Amino acid sequence: MKKTLTLLAASTALSATFGLPAWSGPSAPLYGIPLDAVSAGADTSNTPSLMFVSDDDDEGRGWLRWLGDDDDDDDDDECEDDDEDEDEDEEDRRKNKYDDDDDDDDDDCSGSIDTPAPAGTVAPPQNGLFGTGTPPQVQVN
Amino acid sequence: MKSVLATLALTTALTLPGLAMARPVTLTTQLKNYGGDGAYLAVYVTDPQGAYAGSLWMAGRKSKYYKHLTDWYRFTGGDTAQINGITGASVGAGRSLKISLDLADALFDAGYTLHIDAAVEDRRDSPNEISVPLTSDGAGTAVKGRGYIANFTYDM
Repeated sequence: MKKTLTLLAASTALSATFGLPAWSGPSAPLYGIPLDAVSAGADTSNTPSLMFVSDDDDEGRGWLRWLGDDDDDDDDDECEDDDEDEDEDEEDRRKNKYDDDDDDDDDDCSGSIDTPAPAGTVAPPQNGLFGTGTPPQVQVN
Repeated sequence: MKSVLATLALTTALTLPGLAMARPVTLTTQLKNYGGDGAYLAVYVTDPQGAYAGSLWMAGRKSKYYKHLTDWYRFTGGDTAQINGITGASVGAGRSLKISLDLADALFDAGYTLHIDAAVEDRRDSPNEISVPLTSDGAGTAVKGRGYIANFTYDM
């Protein structure tokens, strides 16, 4: 059993060492056929169809991409409080700084680390003030 | 059967003192008709030495405005972990906020003070607008606010 596992680990390591770098080189000829020839519509009947799978311009990011190298630049982080937003923020503050209780939920950053958990969703903090740990009940008239 | 009864007795014995060490309290905050947007209110407690002991309630959900609750912010650095599970909506002008909770018995007649910081859009921040010692005698007595709060009462 141990021997099998060792062999498996060794073969995996070898595959990773030799296979993945080769995988990451899209500009290199695959199976001896230059990519240019493929994309120019040359006879590819003997060429594995896998070569046509992607025209995604990976720019040679290679196998790291598969390891979570997700560096897409179009991330739209709505919760970011960028410096560029300061002016807008200031204006927003003037207009909407303290929303009344009707539209208090218009912040899309509910998952943000800076947003406190609303009452009822988690237990009150263990600060020793709440005798029984029962969440407060609130009523606004 | 015997062990079940013994366990039940033990858990009851452990639970009862805990219940006895808390008392139900209602905090009522009546806001003035100041004619502005909803007020952010931070309700918190300081110990006999004046150090921050913990928060009881936060009215207002947007953390970016907490810095206007200046005293609370000074004590906590705006740490939202202090108010997880005890945060609700801001309170409109002229409205009354009633909070019912079980407070630890040890807070009363022991030098602890309840504070409320208030802030409203385009208006002056009002830190420590309410500052009231937690005593058995003080229960039911209305305390006037200095800014946006008309009065505050705690009842037991």
